[in-house]
Amino acid sequence: MVEFSPEVIDTIITAAALLGAGFAMIAGIGPGIGQGYAAGKAVESVARQPEARGNIITTMLLGQAVAESTGIYSLVIAIVLIFTIAV
Amino acid sequence: MMDPGPQVVTYLFGNEMLPITDTLIWAWVVCIALIIIAWAATKNMQEVPTGLQNGAEFFVTAILDQIEPMIPGHGRRLLPFIGTIFAFIGLSNLVGFIPAVQNPTADLNTTLGLGLVVFLISHYEGMKENGVLGYIKGFAEPVFILFPLNVVSELAKPISHSFRLFGNMVGGGIIITLIYQAAPWVMPVPLHAWFDLFVGAVQALIFGMIAIAYIAVARDN
Repeated sequence: MVEFSPEVIDTIITAAALLGAGFAMIAGIGPGIGQGYAAGKAVESVARQPEARGNIITTMLLGQAVAESTGIYSLVIAIVLIFTIAV
Repeated sequence: MMDPGPQVVTYLFGNEMLPITDTLIWAWVVCIALIIIAWAATKNMQEVPTGLQNGAEFFVTAILDQIEPMIPGHGRRLLPFIGTIFAFIGLSNLVGFIPAVQNPTADLNTTLGLGLVVFLISHYEGMKENGVLGYIKGFAEPVFILFPLNVVSELAKPISHSFRLFGNMVGGGIIITLIYQAAPWVMPVPLHAWFDLFVGAVQALIFGMIAIAYIAVARDN
């Protein structure tokens, strides 16, 4: 069994927290795809029915905001890891 | 590294349990600014609106047009609540454009407070529309086994609602802070325009729209 000094343990904890913050932000891929899909469909809808533009944009923004939740959760986890554990 | 999050400026009555943070001070500044704008817009109302009164009327009709399709017939009653959310969050997001100003909405205390207010109002509206027992019975739809699941999804609403605004404002603030350290000239200007003006306006719209949607869903049960 290898004994580590407290400084080494602190360094390992900081490194692991920073790595974890980076890995948490992989979740940014999902909202990116989801929001892009919603925007693409909204463009198609506006091209088909230009008179319903206002309603389509409001609905698109609402859907994108809901799709964004998972990305925001991962951002919050990354912020917690960086600012409360790593520092 | 500087301590992140809201900074304690002073203590109310010197009591350690009542800290006054910079977030709170800027929230008060935003409230006072809104009161002054509302007073100036309505002190000398004309039949044919001009200037500030024109802008205020445009704001009110724009919000009424958002509420009426979702909750028909109750737009005027819900207007003060929804309009306050739009105005307060909108101005709170925009004041970050001024250097050295802390966005009141970049603090989880503010956004969670607003989210909980929307949560309470939506349940009050649902109970008023369907009756207390009828509203609680609505959680057992379509099968009774789904009751705990529906309750959990209901409790997740204020959390996701408040974390969305908080995450967007803090994320933009962190990116701007990093850019200030790397390239303090010119570069922050377009980023301020994007994160404070565009994202701030869109997030205020989204927070208000989702508040309307939650109230409408609770009323329909």
